[in-house]
Amino acid sequence: MEYFRSGLKSVLGAPPPDQQITGAETVERLVSRVSTSTLLEDRRDACRALKALSKKYRVEVGAHSMDVLKQVLELDRSDCEIIGYCLDTLCNITSKEPFEDENESTLPVNINIGEQFTEMFIKNTENVALVLNFLEEYDFRVRWPAVKLLTSLLANKPKEIQDIILVSPMGVSKLMDLLSESREVIRNDALLLLINLTKSNANIQKIVAFENAFDRLFEVITSEGLTEGGIVVEDCLILMLNLLKNNTSNINFFNEGSYVQKIYPMLILPANIEEIGWSPQKVSNMHCVLQLIRTLVNPNNPVHIITACQKSIRNANILEALCNVLMASGVPADILTETINTVAEIIRGNLTNQEYFANVMAPSTPPRPAIVVLLLSMVNEKQPFQLRCAVLYCFECFVYKNEIGQGQIIQTLLPSSLGTADVTTGQLLCGGLFSNDSLSNWFSAVSLSHCLIDNPAQKEQLLRVMIATNLGTQAVSLLQQNVTYLQQSNRLQSKIGILMLLSMWLAQCQQAVQIFLNISGAMAFLTAQTSASEYDNNEELIQGICAFIMGLCVVFNDNSVQNYSKENLSHLIEKRVGIETYCKKLNEISRHEVYAKAAKQPQVLARHSSDLLLEFEFCKLFKSFEGVIINALGVQRDLHNGISELSLSEHENALLLQYKELIRDQDKKLQDLQKAFTNSQREKDMLKNELEELRQGNSQLNDQNTLLKAQLAANSNSIQTLDNVASPLVESISTAVPYISKNANEEEKQKLIQDLQETKEELDRLRKDQEDLLELLTDQDCKMNVLKNRLRELGEEVDDDSENGSNSENEL
Amino acid sequence: MSYAYLFKYIIIGDTGVGKSCLLLQFTDKRFQPVHDLTIGVEFGARMITIDSKQIKLQIWDTAGQEAFRSITRSYYRGAAGALLVYDITRRETFNHLTTWLDDARQHSNSNMVIMLIGNKSDLESRREVKKEEGEAFAREHGLVFMETSAKTAANVEEAFINTAKEIYEKIQEGVFDINNEANGIKIGPQHSPTNPSLPGATGSSGSQGGGCC
Repeated sequence: MEYFRSGLKSVLGAPPPDQQITGAETVERLVSRVSTSTLLEDRRDACRALKALSKKYRVEVGAHSMDVLKQVLELDRSDCEIIGYCLDTLCNITSKEPFEDENESTLPVNINIGEQFTEMFIKNTENVALVLNFLEEYDFRVRWPAVKLLTSLLANKPKEIQDIILVSPMGVSKLMDLLSESREVIRNDALLLLINLTKSNANIQKIVAFENAFDRLFEVITSEGLTEGGIVVEDCLILMLNLLKNNTSNINFFNEGSYVQKIYPMLILPANIEEIGWSPQKVSNMHCVLQLIRTLVNPNNPVHIITACQKSIRNANILEALCNVLMASGVPADILTETINTVAEIIRGNLTNQEYFANVMAPSTPPRPAIVVLLLSMVNEKQPFQLRCAVLYCFECFVYKNEIGQGQIIQTLLPSSLGTADVTTGQLLCGGLFSNDSLSNWFSAVSLSHCLIDNPAQKEQLLRVMIATNLGTQAVSLLQQNVTYLQQSNRLQSKIGILMLLSMWLAQCQQAVQIFLNISGAMAFLTAQTSASEYDNNEELIQGICAFIMGLCVVFNDNSVQNYSKENLSHLIEKRVGIETYCKKLNEISRHEVYAKAAKQPQVLARHSSDLLLEFEFCKLFKSFEGVIINALGVQRDLHNGISELSLSEHENALLLQYKELIRDQDKKLQDLQKAFTNSQREKDMLKNELEELRQGNSQLNDQNTLLKAQLAANSNSIQTLDNVASPLVESISTAVPYISKNANEEEKQKLIQDLQETKEELDRLRKDQEDLLELLTDQDCKMNVLKNRLRELGEEVDDDSENGSNSENEL
Repeated sequence: MSYAYLFKYIIIGDTGVGKSCLLLQFTDKRFQPVHDLTIGVEFGARMITIDSKQIKLQIWDTAGQEAFRSITRSYYRGAAGALLVYDITRRETFNHLTTWLDDARQHSNSNMVIMLIGNKSDLESRREVKKEEGEAFAREHGLVFMETSAKTAANVEEAFINTAKEIYEKIQEGVFDINNEANGIKIGPQHSPTNPSLPGATGSSGSQGGGCC
């Protein structure tokens, strides 16, 4: 066959000039055979050949066969073999990766052919729906390539495919069913497909979760041997991470669905972990598990979600398991680092978890609290930088919103507790603060400052701390020592650390400010820094923080130090620094790039140790007091007009609001009244109508009444006359009877009796009639009375005639 | 945390009828007068007791806006119960019920229990749909009906719990295939009645029972 020969030619030596044409021709011939052959076998063979050529002659196959392939997918769907070839071919031509033996075509290399063919294929969204339907076909030859084709399409056009699948009925469900697939290769590929599908699309993430994804994935993870398992476990965990990251609804579902407990078994280290060691896959899996936990308690999540997750994590003994990992030996440094970060976020701001953590003991001799062991690493130069950062984060989280914890740390620094033999957290931090390692200085300063956040009592306690710098010299206060260090040191990182500590210390603590102002040289140092006009290499940060501290001294000044009262200090700043320069220095902080980086998240993130300058909580402090300071300095007074306008508009605003409220009230009243009015109007109309009806009924009844009266009169008259006629007749008959019998005129007698009977009957009938009529009359009368009463109720004058009529009738 | 059964619910209906508020009232026992528009779907959960059995309700609150219809349809299949909500002060939300019902019937499994809810019963003065009309619609389409107020919490518990009871009865009758998770029902991990309480039941499993049965 032709295409075999062409294939052979390309394998042998240099291609002849007509090589391209031959390839394209072959493809065209095959395409026409697929579209015109009536025999399924022929079409199948041609498709098989197209598939074979689709890598080498990708452009030709893609350009010519797209339509016939779609046609086959629609018409030959019952034949699994041909559908398989079709899907494979489409998969090849839309592949994102170039093939090794792909023909260098005339197209420029930089054009992504796969993406273009993908675009062509998905232009009609029906095509994607078609492929989705093939996922339901059990046959391996169809289902597997269908998964692969979707993966390929998704890789090229992720957004478009996500949107199509999202709106195609049961689209996600069909994909989810594949996770229960017994043929692992399909299941694993489906897993990869779902990972790509769920990337940054919250709606798909939620549907996938709704379709029992977490159940399926934990089943797969368990069957694959938990964290000891292969890459499939990692894929499962990555998919879970995709579903949970920044998706509050799914995190809530995960927590409520008790899936947190299912994480626990993955954190149990085997007893012989030191012998078997950590395989790279195990490290990856473990890393994912830790990420999974951190996603649940990420500080950026809503607080109620974090609290709920922290609680279930503790209840599922995960915190305990993680602390065991922390204290185990032989754990790789990056896993250890990540474990510390995870523990940090689990205990952050959660008192119960913080207390649990405070009581964790390290298996050392003598046993020491885990927190002490961790701090030992933080102030140890030889430990990896990331690990030290993690410990700082963990410590920060430990004292975050934890007044008791903060107090306990400061307590270890106070004179009364110095008798203990073993090393304490406080000692470690103080040692680190003035050690020769500037990173340790920074870490310790930040740690100490976190013990003071929102805790005025501890700020005052820390003022009592005395330290002895050198043997034999007199002990000085910690505050004093900080100032001395600032004046003597030239290490940027250390100085920034200590300045941040001072800021935290002095803010909202008049006592600290008072003592600080009394330290000789402290103010001189700050003034010198703030008024300095030249700087290099991040020194603007130092100058900025110095300005900030000066400002804090103004704001939290109780005027007890004569030379540095509020007024004097403001004056000093205005005279020596100048308001403009001062504001400029203050602005240096928030304008600096490290400020933006640090203010982003509580965790300390940095590649290199030299990047650590500002810190999250300091940024928060700065943000909340920057405006206060500028206000206090009366800078705003210069913009006097602005202020008055501002206040005026505020006043106006209040007035405006008042009026708005008033208008709203009146509007509502108006509406209510209108409604009430319409209601009464309607009621009035209704009553009028009713009255009219009653009047008509009344006159009708009157007429009837008159008629009946007339009839009655007539009837009684006729009855009277009949009676009159009858009585002489009866008499005559009774007298005549003997006479008649005598005469034996039977016939006449008979006749007379008959007559008599007839007359009697008529009399009875008439009497009855009269009775009936009388009854009727009484009824009518009653009715009339009722109607009259109603009329009276309705305030209508009652017709006197009818009254008389009924009276006269009663007489009858 | 141990439960005998887990039921999946969805809440559907026009935008602004109070679906999210119903869910919030049921799960958190509070009312939020100003609620953001739901984007896509949100999740909530609570534990209830029926027939002295712990039953966990997982509830997906869907967006009522037309733009989200195609997304919310994906949730019909896997749900055991649906609360179809309209607003008694807005007739059009009642008029759209047939559309919602058709959609639900088309995409869900046939055994899904649908509860019709006329919400905002506290706004009697602005009522546009009579209670009888809701009853008639429910009778005609074989739904359970109830008027609720997410604001005063009137009937909110009952709405969710009665739906659960209906599902529970269907399970007892063997109508639901409880082993097929696509029906929106799961059997609890420790399905034995002699399992009083494991440590650490979630906060949401708190106070209920009593009045419900």
